[in-house]
Parts: sequence; C-alpha cells; structure tokens
Amino acid sequence: MEQIQKTDVIVTESVMKVYDADGIPVNALNGVDLTIQSGEFTAIVGPSGSGKTTFLNIISGLDAPTEGKVWLSGKVLSEMGGNELSDFRRDNIGFIFQAYNLIPVLTVEENVEYIMLLAGVPKTERHDRVVAMLETVGLKDVEDRLPTQLSGGQQQRVAIARAMVSEPAIILADEPTANLDSKTGADLLEMMRRLNDETGMTFIFSTHDPMVMESAKRLITLRDGKVDTDETK
Amino acid sequence: MFLILIKLAWRNILRNKRRTIIASIAISIGLAALIFGDAFMIGMMDNLIKTATDSFIGDAQIHRQEFRDTREVSMTIQELDEVGANLAKEANVRYFTRRTFSTGMIASSANRSAINLIGVQPSTEKFLSQIDDAITEGVFFQKTNEHDIVIGSKLAEILEVELGDKAVVTVVQAKSGDYFQDWFRVSGIYYFADAAMNSGMAFVRLKKAQQMLAIGNNVHEIAIKFTSTEYGQDKQVPFWETYSQHGNEALSWTEILPQLPKVFAMSEYSKYIMGIVLFGVVIFGIINTLFMSLYERMFEFGVLRAVGTRSFGMARIILFEAGALAIVSIILGAILGFVLTTIFANVGIDYTGNEMMGVTVQEFIYPVLTIEQFTVYPLAVFIFTIIAGLYPAWHVAKMSPVDAMRRSF
Ligand SMILES: Nc1ncnc2c1ncn2[C@@H]1O[C@H](COP(=O)(O)OP(=O)(O)OP(=O)(O)O)[C@@H](O)[C@H]1O
Ligand SMILES: [Mg+2]
Repeated sequence: MEQIQKTDVIVTESVMKVYDADGIPVNALNGVDLTIQSGEFTAIVGPSGSGKTTFLNIISGLDAPTEGKVWLSGKVLSEMGGNELSDFRRDNIGFIFQAYNLIPVLTVEENVEYIMLLAGVPKTERHDRVVAMLETVGLKDVEDRLPTQLSGGQQQRVAIARAMVSEPAIILADEPTANLDSKTGADLLEMMRRLNDETGMTFIFSTHDPMVMESAKRLITLRDGKVDTDETK
Repeated sequence: MFLILIKLAWRNILRNKRRTIIASIAISIGLAALIFGDAFMIGMMDNLIKTATDSFIGDAQIHRQEFRDTREVSMTIQELDEVGANLAKEANVRYFTRRTFSTGMIASSANRSAINLIGVQPSTEKFLSQIDDAITEGVFFQKTNEHDIVIGSKLAEILEVELGDKAVVTVVQAKSGDYFQDWFRVSGIYYFADAAMNSGMAFVRLKKAQQMLAIGNNVHEIAIKFTSTEYGQDKQVPFWETYSQHGNEALSWTEILPQLPKVFAMSEYSKYIMGIVLFGVVIFGIINTLFMSLYERMFEFGVLRAVGTRSFGMARIILFEAGALAIVSIILGAILGFVLTTIFANVGIDYTGNEMMGVTVQEFIYPVLTIEQFTVYPLAVFIFTIIAGLYPAWHVAKMSPVDAMRRSF
C-alpha cells in the first residue's frame, strides 16, 4: 500500500496580532508557533477571546499578522499581492463559517459552484461535481433550492460541500456546529471526520463544543493569544 | 461567470422590492422628465419656426442686397424675370410669391395710422402666409377689384372702419419722392395674435402697389417655401449662392430671424442644465440605495471575498446591481415618458399669445417624440447609474472580509 506522504500544510512562526480597539491595543495573538500537517483533523479550543478566530483568519490570509510569518502550502502569505491572495484562497482553502455561509439569492447548486465559476471550470464538469459533492455530504435533490428552504444542518452541509468541491489543501471552520442543536452538530462532525478519513483533506476548526473536541485527532488550546496545550491523540 | 453576476444582481434588486421600486421610480421620473422636456422643446421650436415661417416670412427670402437695411422703395430685386424663371424650375422650391413694401399712411374719416403697405399676389401669397387663414370678416382678395385692401382687426378698430368702408392710403413714390394717394375699400379683416401684424400692416394687390410706388413690374421681396423646412436651414445647399447674384441676396429664415436659432441654442443649453441637475439628484438616490443594500449584506460580501472573489470581482457585483437597477428604471421611465409625451402630443399645450423672442405663438405646442429620446437618454441614464455605482463598488472592492463579517454582528 502506498504510504501517504505527510507534508506541512501550515507553518506559523511567532505570529502576533495586535488589534486597535478604539485606541487601546488588544493583543489577540502573542507569538504562535504551530505546524499543521496534511490530513490532520485539528480542533482549536480555548475560552472566548483567546484568539481562535484571529488565528484562523491569519492562517487563511483573510487577515495579516502584526508580526511573524505564515506559510500555507509552502507559500508565505504576506508576500502575496491582492489578486494572488484571492486566487490562492480560492484554490487552497475551503471556508466554513459559523452561520450564514450561503448567498441567500443563489440556489444550492449556484452556491456550491461559485468557486468553480471563479476558477473557470466548464459547466458540465461543475454540475457533475456539485451533484457528487452534495451526495457526499448526504444531500440529494436539493440543487435548485434556496438556502432559506433548508434546515440549519442542511445549510452547513452545503457549506461543507462548497468548501470541499474544489479540493483545497485545507478546510477551515470557525465554530461550524455552534448554531446547530447537538444531534445535528454531532452528525455534521461525524461526517467531516469521515471525509477527513476518506479524502485525507486537512480540517482545522475552532470550537467550544466538547463533542467536537472529543472527535478531534489533535487538540490545540489557546489561552490569551498563546498556545497553552497541544496534544495529539 | 456573467450569468451568475446577472442572477446575483437581478435577484438582489428584487430582494427588497420596495426599496428598488422607490429608487427606480426616482430614476424613471428623471428620465421621463428628460424625455418630456426634450419633446416639449422640439415641439416649441417647431411651433416657433412654423409660426415665424408660415405666418409671413417663409423659409427663405430674396431681396436687393441693400433693401433690408435701407427699406428704400427704389431697392427692388435685380433681374427679376430671370430669378422668377429660375425659381419656377427649382425642385426644392414648392411655392414663391412676390411682394412690395413701403411705409405709408392710412386714413379713414375718423382716424389715421402709419402702416406698412404690402403689395401681394393673392394666388401665391396664400401659400406663404397665413393672412388668408386669419380672415375673420370678408375675404382675402377674391374678385379683381384693384381697390381692395385687407387690414388687421386692431387697425380696423383704430380707424373705426368696418368691412366695405373706405380708407385713403398715402405713399412716397420711388424716384420722384412725390406723395401718391389712392382710395381703397376694406374687403377683408384678419386677426393675428402678433400685435405688429394686427395693427401695423395693410395688404393690397401687387399691381396696385407697383403702380402707386411707380416701380414698374419690380418687387422688393420674393418669399419662398421649400419642400422641407430643413432645406431652408442648410447653408451648404447651392441655393443661397445661386440667388445671391446680381446684387441680390438670398437669406434663410434663420438669418431673417436670428433670434430664433439663438433661442434654440439656449434651449439646448438649458436642456443640458436640466439633465445634469436631474442626474445629480438621481445619482445620490442610487448611491444611497446601493449602500443601504450593501450594508445589509455585509456578511455575504465578506463570504464572497473570503472564498476567493477578487476585489474587482466584488466591485463588479455592485456594478451589475447598479446596471440592473438602471435597466428596470429605464424601462419604467421610457414608458412613463412615452405615455406622458403622447398624451400631450395629442392634447397640445396652450401657449398661444405668448411672445417668445419676437415670435408670437399662434398655435398649441405639441411635444414631439424622437428616437433619440429613447436611445440616447436611456443610454445616458444607464451610464450615469453605473457611474453612481462606482463609489459603492469601490467601497466593496477595498473592504476587508474580516471587517465585513465582524461588522455584521
Ligand atoms: N477587529 C478587532 N478589533 C479589536 N479587537 C479585536 C478585533 N478582533 C478581535 N479582537 C479582540 O481580539 C481578541 C481575540 O478575539 P477572537 O475573536 O480571535 O477570539 P475567539 O477565541 O475567537 O473568541 P470566541 O470564542 O468568542 O469566538 C478578543 O479580545 C477580541 O475582542
Ligand atoms: Mg471566534
């Protein structure tokens, strides 16, 4: 059997983030050094305000660190220009937010294919991939529905389908289950875990949910903008 | 990609229908006002041109060069026979008529008044002027009585004469400078809104006038009606040169009434001012509408940006929305403008009796619809709307996705 080569997908080096909250500096991250390898299923936990969201924003290039460096798939994010960074996110990162992931005026199919449209994937291929991806996340015959016609759990599944459809290097999810009831959240988590096992895609998510922590393969705890504990199960 | 942009734009403007309707009504009223304003101006110009040219001036006139300045009775058209023969052969000339002019005095048993005595050829004059249409009593030279005189109602009032009453006209003859007097019988009375025409003119037969002025068969003016009004405004056509020989000059109505083209230039100008003011108001409306819908959808824009839309792509979403708004408004505005203008084009707008730049409006003004109003103006509205969309589009383009998503909670 072929041995899967583990590579460093994300490397951060003394990442600091200082926000300016109406003139008062807020140290959201105080020097974070982390390496995340391909295929990980990692949860970032910590009390509210510990810097989880900030960390995810910085490793995805949505926000720039005040100091320090971030490598994603071997590239230094801060060295990329605006369009380059947009295209890089499009091709390398799948995003799942806590809620309101989907564009309400677009159908499920249009939401999922949006990134492929940006990347210029031909129409028939787009359609096939959307249908296949929706099936993977356990949704059938919902392509033509609008997000408002779906339940919260279904909407998050569509968000996962959108994040995964262009096969990015990593999937970043900021509290993906926070707006779901525990049963739905558990189902969603189980599914992500399964997809991680099947595809080897890297998942990183922040959470407060003990159940999510339970199923994570690696648990990183942040406290006051620093890595407090880092345990791999 | 364009399809999804169109879908996004269209569905988003339908998302808040009330706001879209309010914004597009504002834009469409602007467009409708512009269409109607333009149609009205064209109607007014047509009306003024028609009034000026149809009532007496004609599309063009030929005189001896010095005549217009001096008004000398002796300044008659040179080579009249040749000019007349040539005019008869011109394809673009529909009618022409000969006239004499002289100042003089008209006296009744009750009163006297200074007048312009005009000798006319009734059979062709009726095509060049509207005196015959304006007759309220009597007729415009029907039989062959050489003592017939046609005067305005105001003059009749001054002279206290009625149809069939006698009046004596005194003129100064050409060469000798002698006074010449003859009697006439009022055979027609006309009414014109224009005060000068109504009280200061008297018409007699050409032959009689020539005899009184002792100018033989000569005349002072040939008034011409072309087959189209445009021909009379085109200074490039050879007509003007051809008839400006032998010491004569051929002038178009635009030169005879130089105020009129000036009014038109001015109304063009005021149209632009009106357009700019309207668009200024509309632009702020559009910017406002786009920003309102933008702030409501901050998180969505954050998501679109996060998942890899370039900043130009973000701007394009807003511009497409502005475009969709423009198209809805243009359709609405064009319909509104068309209906409004069509109604008034049929009913007419009563401006009669008002004097504009020396021309008294004689008929209702009928707004005129043109292709331009439904092509150039809507295009201008579209372009202006897109320009108005540039600011919100730029705002979205430079927005950071993190801020966008944070600010929406
Ligand atoms: N744009 C900002 N401006 C100012 N302060 C900010 C900004 N973003 C985050 N912060 C602050 O930075 C710190 C870290 O915030 P962050 O959102 O990363 O925490 P978190 O761990 O995700 O918290 P939660 O569990 O509540 O989501 C907090 O003190 C927060 O108030
Ligand atoms: Mg957070």
